[in-house]
Amino acid sequence: MSDLTFVPGPPRDRAEDAAAPLPHFVSTAPYDPYAVERMTPAQERFYVASQWRMVWWKLRRHRVAVVAGAILLAMYVGITICEFLAPYGVDSRSTDFIYAPPQPVHIFYRGRLVAPYVLGFDYRLDMKRLERIYTPNPKKRQTIRFFCHGDRYEFWNLFPGNLHLACPAHGGQLFLLGTDRLGRDLMSRMIYGARVSLTVGLIGVAVSLTLGIAIGGIAGYYGGWTDILIQRAMEVIQSFPHLPLWMALSAILPVSWSPLLVYFGITLILGMIDWTHLARAVRSKLLALREEDFCTAAVLMGARPVRVIGRHLLPSFTSHLIASATLMIPGMILGETALSFLGLGVRPPMTSWGVLLSDAQNINVVALYPWLLAPVGTVILAVLAFNFFGDGLRDAADPYH
Amino acid sequence: MLSYIVHRILIMVPTLIAISIVIFTIINLPPGNYFTTYIAELQGSGETADLAKIQFLEKEYGFDRPLWQQYLYWAGGLLHGDLGYSFAYDLPVDKVVGDRMLLTAVVSITTIIFTYLVAFPIGIYSATHQYSISDHLLTLLGFLGLATPSFLLALVLLYLANVYFGISIGGLMDPKYLDQPWSWPKVVSLMEHIWIPVIVIGSAGTAAMIRRLRANLLDELQKQYVVTARAKGLHPLKALFKYPLRMALNPFISDIGSLLPQVISGAAIVSVVMSLPTTGPMLLSALRSQDMYLAGSFLMFMASLTVIGVFVSDLALALLDPRIRLQAGRRQ
Amino acid sequence: MSSNRLDPPGPPITRRAFVGHSLLLSTVLSAVPGAAWAALRETPFFADAVAGDKLPRVADRIPAEPAIVDTTGKAGGELRMLMATPKDVRMMVVYGYARLVGLTPSLKLAPDILKAVDVEAGSVFTLHLRKGMRWSDGQPFTAEDFRYWFEDVASNRHLSQSGLPVDLLPNGEKPRFEVLDETTVRYSWSRPNPLFLPDIAGPDPLFIYCPSHYLKQFHQKYADKDQLAALVKKARVRNWAALHNKLDAMYKNDNPELPSLQPWILKTKPPAERFIFERNPYYYRVDKEGTQLPYIDRVILSLADSRIIPAKTAAGETDLQARYLSFDDYTFLRQSEDRNHFDVRLWRTGPGSQFALYPNLNTGDAVWRGLLRDLRFRRALSLAVNRHEINQVIYFGLAIEGQNTILPQSPLYRPAYRNAWARYDLGEANRLLDLVGLTQRGSDNVRLLPDGRPMELIVEYSGEEPEEPDVLELIRDSWLHIGIRLFSKPAQLTLFRRRVFSGEALMALDKGVENGLANAASSPWEFAPTSQQELEWPKWGQYYETKGRAGEAPDLPSAVQLRDLFNQWLGTASPDDQAAAWHQILQIWADEVFSIGTVGGVLQPVVVSDKLRNIPEKGIYNWDPGAFFGIYKPDQFWLEPEAGAKSAAAGTGPAAATP
Repeated sequence: MSDLTFVPGPPRDRAEDAAAPLPHFVSTAPYDPYAVERMTPAQERFYVASQWRMVWWKLRRHRVAVVAGAILLAMYVGITICEFLAPYGVDSRSTDFIYAPPQPVHIFYRGRLVAPYVLGFDYRLDMKRLERIYTPNPKKRQTIRFFCHGDRYEFWNLFPGNLHLACPAHGGQLFLLGTDRLGRDLMSRMIYGARVSLTVGLIGVAVSLTLGIAIGGIAGYYGGWTDILIQRAMEVIQSFPHLPLWMALSAILPVSWSPLLVYFGITLILGMIDWTHLARAVRSKLLALREEDFCTAAVLMGARPVRVIGRHLLPSFTSHLIASATLMIPGMILGETALSFLGLGVRPPMTSWGVLLSDAQNINVVALYPWLLAPVGTVILAVLAFNFFGDGLRDAADPYH
Repeated sequence: MLSYIVHRILIMVPTLIAISIVIFTIINLPPGNYFTTYIAELQGSGETADLAKIQFLEKEYGFDRPLWQQYLYWAGGLLHGDLGYSFAYDLPVDKVVGDRMLLTAVVSITTIIFTYLVAFPIGIYSATHQYSISDHLLTLLGFLGLATPSFLLALVLLYLANVYFGISIGGLMDPKYLDQPWSWPKVVSLMEHIWIPVIVIGSAGTAAMIRRLRANLLDELQKQYVVTARAKGLHPLKALFKYPLRMALNPFISDIGSLLPQVISGAAIVSVVMSLPTTGPMLLSALRSQDMYLAGSFLMFMASLTVIGVFVSDLALALLDPRIRLQAGRRQ
Repeated sequence: MSSNRLDPPGPPITRRAFVGHSLLLSTVLSAVPGAAWAALRETPFFADAVAGDKLPRVADRIPAEPAIVDTTGKAGGELRMLMATPKDVRMMVVYGYARLVGLTPSLKLAPDILKAVDVEAGSVFTLHLRKGMRWSDGQPFTAEDFRYWFEDVASNRHLSQSGLPVDLLPNGEKPRFEVLDETTVRYSWSRPNPLFLPDIAGPDPLFIYCPSHYLKQFHQKYADKDQLAALVKKARVRNWAALHNKLDAMYKNDNPELPSLQPWILKTKPPAERFIFERNPYYYRVDKEGTQLPYIDRVILSLADSRIIPAKTAAGETDLQARYLSFDDYTFLRQSEDRNHFDVRLWRTGPGSQFALYPNLNTGDAVWRGLLRDLRFRRALSLAVNRHEINQVIYFGLAIEGQNTILPQSPLYRPAYRNAWARYDLGEANRLLDLVGLTQRGSDNVRLLPDGRPMELIVEYSGEEPEEPDVLELIRDSWLHIGIRLFSKPAQLTLFRRRVFSGEALMALDKGVENGLANAASSPWEFAPTSQQELEWPKWGQYYETKGRAGEAPDLPSAVQLRDLFNQWLGTASPDDQAAAWHQILQIWADEVFSIGTVGGVLQPVVVSDKLRNIPEKGIYNWDPGAFFGIYKPDQFWLEPEAGAKSAAAGTGPAAATP
């Protein structure tokens, strides 16, 4: 811009000077044919960005989705180290602290800031009402130890260890969320339960995705009779209420299977129920897309149908698929809680949020030991986080919108 | 148009047959049958009085015959309109179901109305004020119902309603009105009790509806004709309601067909917790005890409802939407 | 041959002194002195019907020889109860407990509907009915009702395809049935049948009579062919036998038109959410002041899901409730007592052990079978169960620890039976296991089986009770100390039983012996291999049941001994001999530890409305014997008209003191 010079025009008194050029600016820079197309660095980045990068940028603008994503990330990282995070082992119980209420953490003592501590309990058994009465005793201050050696565990069932993030003081207790009817710490069981509940969703969705893409892909690509048959089959499955399917399938899981196998069986069951939505979406997209030129070109070049579907057609709406899949995970988490409620979920000694909640499903808990309802909070958090994150993903999935 | 209708009706028949086979298989998958389970229970609790009578029933109804024979017997009965006999209730199936259908319909319809009432304002607001704080808060509220496990929410609400409002626990009305004829206090009692199941069941459905309405509305609002209308000075609300909203409602009409069976079965767990005299608990206990005819015939009934419902809503859509009509039914 | 007469608790009737054998049963309650009662009072509930000539006066409704009960109370009121399934209407037959011969609160047999029973050598039973007794529809109750049942129902091959009930066939012998006159019938066998009377007195009794005047219209032999065919068609059943079986619901109690002898009669036709029972106008019991029983006019059963019944009970929606309440609910119920005007009492239950482990002596795994049959192994397992901890954790220390055998409340009880091998002694347990030869240990200190496998014992259970996984968790921890790792596997009920019966299951967890309150007259069947239902020896039990056609013959000497002792008990009528057989059985049972008990006599919360009277403060809540509330005779319960203060007088009925 600095090489613009002002050219004043000639005086315009005489008539023959009327056609002379008006005052104007002239650039003395050399002529650059690509001037129009040159971009600023910012614009250039945008232009050459891949689809995924654009999705990411759009997602970042959706603040709630970002927060939700961060929470989910924290949860999933947490379940890889749950043995370390939990103050107690999953099965550790103390007969002396059955149905103990939560111990809040204090950091002030007489106005001074001190190391975090909890108050120990005075325990009394009321034999008239058959109640266990726990009174926090301000004199029994139990300072929480960090990075300490506590209950033994097997890290991922492979390596023994006993390092914990936080443990109770020696001879003390650390029941941040209280205990249950056998004296087991609820907080620790919730952390271990997260491992099962959160991964059930992932594996179940993986199963659904596979089924949905495969079947929907076949239906959409081939069309005609295959399409009609598959559509009818999907209608049969969809018009079926979930409950009886769950009950029957869970009932045939053999008794002799280990809890781990039962867990995988249950994820399979959950995954097999909901794939029809995905299959429908895949099918309709494929029906539209297979008329496109790039697909015809691939077919003409001799690509087999699997390659055409997998390499050419699918990537164009993978982001949409992922968004749909993310939105299915909360349904699986809730499905797992429903299965546990019906008594068909994971078997002990495995714990999940669903098992914890179905244990809490009676009037005594609601009226007398409400802290046992705490897993509801984590379920709500996980489900909401997945929903918002999935919504954000879906909004961002079509970046050219 | 006519060929489309005939084509769909013809397709329904093999679909229903396939569904009946699936239902029969599912009910008989767990080991044993109603009689073996019931006999095991009786022997476990020491009540051996009527054992002989039960074994007599088992033979009478052919439960010692091979499975495919039992299937044909049941399917044949269905074709005659004979839904079979429920052993758990010791009554014909239609008597057991008939009583409960009315209340189930009442609860379901109230729930659907509640869902629409909550979802619409939130969905519309959410679409027009995308990404604002109030959008997020309202969506959070709408999704809260979906996120909470319904059985726990039902139990907690039951307890709180009893402690704070003195409402009797469970059921759809105070027990003393159960066999009384309809009167104003009975209606009041019904309304006092029905809001808990409606909220618990309905709040799970609001999320999906909010999301769908919002997505559809957003799509519509981007379109050319809306922009034109606004540019030409049409009042914003009118521009919203008169055209885009109607288009966005399209899927709701098409979904009503499959919505009713979903609500009926989705309410099963909550109905069990709250002990409502609806079809949900009846179905669950029939499945648990493998009461073949009750479970099977009722599931057939529900599945047929869905299939017919889908057909009807497809028909309605075809009538409403000229594009579909002209393409002679190629569904996307 | 000595014979003895069973007399009802009423005015004494002459008794012949007996020589030699003393009878199992004798008059229990003190008779009401002198002649009968004051003038009869008309039941207020029927006052209008009597005035309008729809019902005869009370003097014509009760039998000429009614049962007079030593109690007082006020007639009137409604009793509400909560049930979970429509089938629970049969509970009114259990609670109502109108039996030919019933059990008193001290678990002795006494005639109830019958005026008297003559028993000769335990093998000939002469039943004397009350003159003028009527069914609930006014028709006479006579010997014809017994004859119809015996000849036209139980012996009819269409109606009873498996023949007479097994308790009428001691050693396969059919009874000789005679009608002596309109109010006397006789059943005779050539050998004693000690199961006959207890079965008639049971909670789900052997009904040897039925309303013939009503049922004849559904019987092929008596009904008009076309009329019967029309009835069959209308009811949508297969044939007349199905119709008769369906309507003959003496125990199932779901037919409002079936005449009955129970205190309350069903008035609501199923299906319903609320079943109403009204008092029987022709009931045969009268109190000493001339009021016809029952006191309570109506009983209302409301249906609700079993899981919210504790909540509804706490909210005051029931007047008498024990069913579907468990010990866990006690604290919450106590909290709601004052607000909702009821009282929570704790009654003892009857099973010898609430949960017991049953090592399957017929299991298919040869190595395990060898171990389980070894006496020392079972004893070691039993010594390693920390019963005190189980008691403290689950039952607040209020249950009775010990083996799976009779409770202290039983007249046959000796402390040695219950305490045998029931202490917590890890040292001795380890020593016994070393003696057996299981000295090899694998990784993390778990012992190895003789064939090298680690000792991983899988205990299966049906998951019907929520405490089962908890008990197994506690046992698992203590068994780790003796080097045995326990795995628990729940399975659906049918599957669970199938696996035990076939021998696939190694060990099962289930309820302990049902009758922990046994006396010499009770059947010791649970302690001997007599039934496939016994999870410790299903195949031996099956062998006995099917008389050798299926199953395996017992080959452990002690089991054979138990079986022989049981047969011995069956074959004698003398109470002394019966008691002797019992003690021998109990001693063998204690030594052999065929099942490992945990804690018994668990307490059951019983919720009683403040208005309800005549129900004991402390009692037994048990199925057999006990019929839950039956032995305390709910027809004697009465409601105080004004709702108000809690009852200070706990029970003035027949059972103030309980075992």
